[in-house]
Amino acid sequence: MAGGHIQITDLSRSYGDVLAVNHIDLEMVPGEFFSMLGPSGCGKTTTLRMIAGFEDPDSGQILLDGVDIRHTPPHKRPVNTVFQAYMIFPHLDVYENVAFGLRRQRVGKDELRRRVGAALELVQLEALAKRKPSQLSGGQQQRVALARALVLEPAVLLLDEPLGALDAKLRHQLQDELKTLQQTVGITFVYVTHDQEEALTMSDRIAVMSHGAVEQIGTPREVYDEPTTEFVADFLGISNLLSAQAVSGVPGECLLRVGEFLLTARGGETAARGQVKCVVRPERVNLEPAGATGHNRVPGTVERLVYLGSATRAIVRLDTGQTLQSLIPSDGQPVAFEEGIAVQLELPADALRVVKGGGGAAAPQAEHVLGDQLEGAADA
Amino acid sequence: MSSRLRHASWGKIGLVAIVVLYIVWSLAPVAIAFLFSFNAGYSRSTWQGFSMQWWTGSKSVFNLPIYTDAIRHSLLLAVLAVIITVPLGVSLSIFLSRWRGITARPASFLATVPLVVPELVLALALFFLVTKVNLPVVTLGTSGQVVGQVTFILPLVIVITIGRLSSIPTGYEEAAQDLGASPPQSFRLVLVPLLQPAILASAIVAFAVSIDDFVITQYMSSTSSTQSVPMLIYTATRGGATPALNAMATIMAVTTIVIAAVGFALYRLLARREQITDVPAPAPALAVSREGAL
Repeated sequence: MAGGHIQITDLSRSYGDVLAVNHIDLEMVPGEFFSMLGPSGCGKTTTLRMIAGFEDPDSGQILLDGVDIRHTPPHKRPVNTVFQAYMIFPHLDVYENVAFGLRRQRVGKDELRRRVGAALELVQLEALAKRKPSQLSGGQQQRVALARALVLEPAVLLLDEPLGALDAKLRHQLQDELKTLQQTVGITFVYVTHDQEEALTMSDRIAVMSHGAVEQIGTPREVYDEPTTEFVADFLGISNLLSAQAVSGVPGECLLRVGEFLLTARGGETAARGQVKCVVRPERVNLEPAGATGHNRVPGTVERLVYLGSATRAIVRLDTGQTLQSLIPSDGQPVAFEEGIAVQLELPADALRVVKGGGGAAAPQAEHVLGDQLEGAADA
Repeated sequence: MSSRLRHASWGKIGLVAIVVLYIVWSLAPVAIAFLFSFNAGYSRSTWQGFSMQWWTGSKSVFNLPIYTDAIRHSLLLAVLAVIITVPLGVSLSIFLSRWRGITARPASFLATVPLVVPELVLALALFFLVTKVNLPVVTLGTSGQVVGQVTFILPLVIVITIGRLSSIPTGYEEAAQDLGASPPQSFRLVLVPLLQPAILASAIVAFAVSIDDFVITQYMSSTSSTQSVPMLIYTATRGGATPALNAMATIMAVTTIVIAAVGFALYRLLARREQITDVPAPAPALAVSREGAL
């Protein structure tokens, strides 16, 4: 199935005074699993509904395989949607729900039977063809919604938080199935979700959205490991943000002042100077006994230990007052730290990323003369 | 705790008593009227023995043209009222509830005005309209009675249908359009089937109200051929009516009850089959407006 190329240019939509989608540009290439990720109110669903045709853009352009579809009514667009609440027609059985679109296209009797059968097989629902929607579980309804859309062989499949109504276990199982399904059919999937884990596990690329704008577009690894804004860093995983003062640095490096200590950061906007935010993933923060020495180390106190099964999360309050989280992988032994003890945090320079959006919310925690800080840095 | 229990049980007994009294009070006259249709004499108030003479034979309700004509006319009016008000009311409801125009609210309000206007006022107004303004088609008689009843019953159909429509998320129509149905097709193939219980309920209500209606039907009548059962009962009770009138009233009551019961059973069946409330998450349309609001 070739095609399924979406180009969105300067797309806007407002409701009253609220700008739900604020002049965004997006491109989805044929056959990719593209996610729009963001909190509720970020404009992801509105964008999806504009692609489907249920909302009219105030301005901008939506090209599908080079054709402007902005004025095409929903029933004539070669895209299909899996709705958040599935919207399986309650008066029709599973078979007729899946056949609904094909009947509108007036396909022949034999072809209809063949294609509906194939679609039901694809989602493993052949045995339930004669069931009514009220006799199906949430996961089964979700599969009907998928089969009903995929049977039409759309150029693009739009999915509006399709797993949102399911319990955690089923959600994980369906995430895998959805990804496999997408690879099997090769159709462009545009997936809307507020669940970062869902977006990371399934997507080829993710657009992280906030307040109607696109914050960052990239592969799951890029948005997770190399967030370019504070929002992206915060939204994708635990917010481990450090307020710091960027003081100097050679190209590709940035010397950060955190309280009385100096840290080297090699990631992100290393050319920035002044008040910045610095992000570090909890799994890259190493906890060491107090007194450990070396570069990029700051002292703190273990405030809380949370056992997560596969790891233990340590919440450490730095002497400067800020808190950082560290993830200690489980190795079968109890962790070597207790709540309330002093520790040393190692923050590898490669793991420290300077990001945009560090506006003056957090002032430096303590003021010291420069000499003290240099001394501290030399000590560390 | 025991005093509270006693308290609750006293309250319960009181409620049961009230309900039983109400049922007896409302059914007793019907039962008495029904009983007197088997009276051996001509009296409609003094029991003179059992007889089937008002049900079969020369003096029976089925052998008096004035009675059979009234029954036939009442049924004709009721059937016409159902045939006209249900499709019209359902279409108007769909239009009013799915139409997001600026006039949608005033239009919904106006559609229910006849519901709050006293029937007598409406009847007088219609009478004036028909007699003083030369309307095409509509004259005093059957056409006027039908138009009058439709005016009166339509808001009831709209209220019932809009209630059901508001429980059907617009997502179903969107899903239909997403799958290639044009807007008219999505109405016909998705919305109308989902509205079936409301359509049925509307039909029952329209039928029952039409059969019962006296004021408008009376005002818009012309000759004796346009006499309905309630009109006949109203005039006959003043003259010397026989227990055949009781038999006729019984026929009408039983007809209405049977139709309502069958309709109600069908409604239960349809409503259970569909279960729109089973939807696990809010409709996309709601999700969007929520997004917009935040």
